[in-house]
Amino acid sequence: MTTEVNFEVTESDREGMPVLSVRGEVDVSTAPELRERLLALAEGGETTAVVDLSQVSFVDSTALGVLVSGVKRLRSEGGDLRLVVTEPRISKVFEITGLTDVFKIYASADEAVRA
Amino acid sequence: MSDATWAVPGNDVLHERDHVELSLPARPELLFLVRMTAAAVASRADFGYDQIEDLRLAIDELALTVSGDEATSGRLQLLFKWTEDAIEVVGVYEPDEAEGPRRDLAVAQPANELSARILDALVDEHGADVVGGCPRAWLRMRRRKASRQ
Repeated sequence: MTTEVNFEVTESDREGMPVLSVRGEVDVSTAPELRERLLALAEGGETTAVVDLSQVSFVDSTALGVLVSGVKRLRSEGGDLRLVVTEPRISKVFEITGLTDVFKIYASADEAVRA
Repeated sequence: MSDATWAVPGNDVLHERDHVELSLPARPELLFLVRMTAAAVASRADFGYDQIEDLRLAIDELALTVSGDEATSGRLQLLFKWTEDAIEVVGVYEPDEAEGPRRDLAVAQPANELSARILDALVDEHGADVVGGCPRAWLRMRRRKASRQ
């Protein structure tokens, strides 16, 4: 059994900024891949990146932990991790955990890149 | 598993309509089966969409509470019970005999601070402890009137 069917991370470049577009369910099984992709960006010298969660249907505390680690890492380098969240279910998870105060959240990748 | 394993605070007043038992290897890639079962039970119990989604997330956090985030050789045992007005889930991590007690799960508590906030927000009651050397967690979600559809 594989988890790839319902999870995918693709990287693109928008106006010189890396954007990780995530699709599917981000849980304890799939979050490590997102962690690795974020780590690779940081180790590659990127200080600001966008994670687009608009195609994500589920996040748990493991996924949130990965994003928190990512934003801490990039901010320590003087950059930031910007999120795109459009699904109400996903927004709710950020709200109930208080992470709306931690992340800058945008309605689209374009908006996040140009912020 | 003894009857005491499934007896959690407050469930002596729960007159169940029915129940489902689920047993599976405690591996991260199988956690989606727990969420699927939770959604099916909540739907069968006639909960509304929002509460079904809340239960999917809460049950995920409950599973993380008892089995941690690493692949193990143990099994995750879950009991879902429902009544006219509530769903109760008890989850127990049963270590493999060769595995022995896991120090990382010796103190039963939500997997992390974020997990605790999620459970606090989504369910009416929840708790965790250790029974017979096995980490155990439970939750209870009452039907919200507005969610019945």
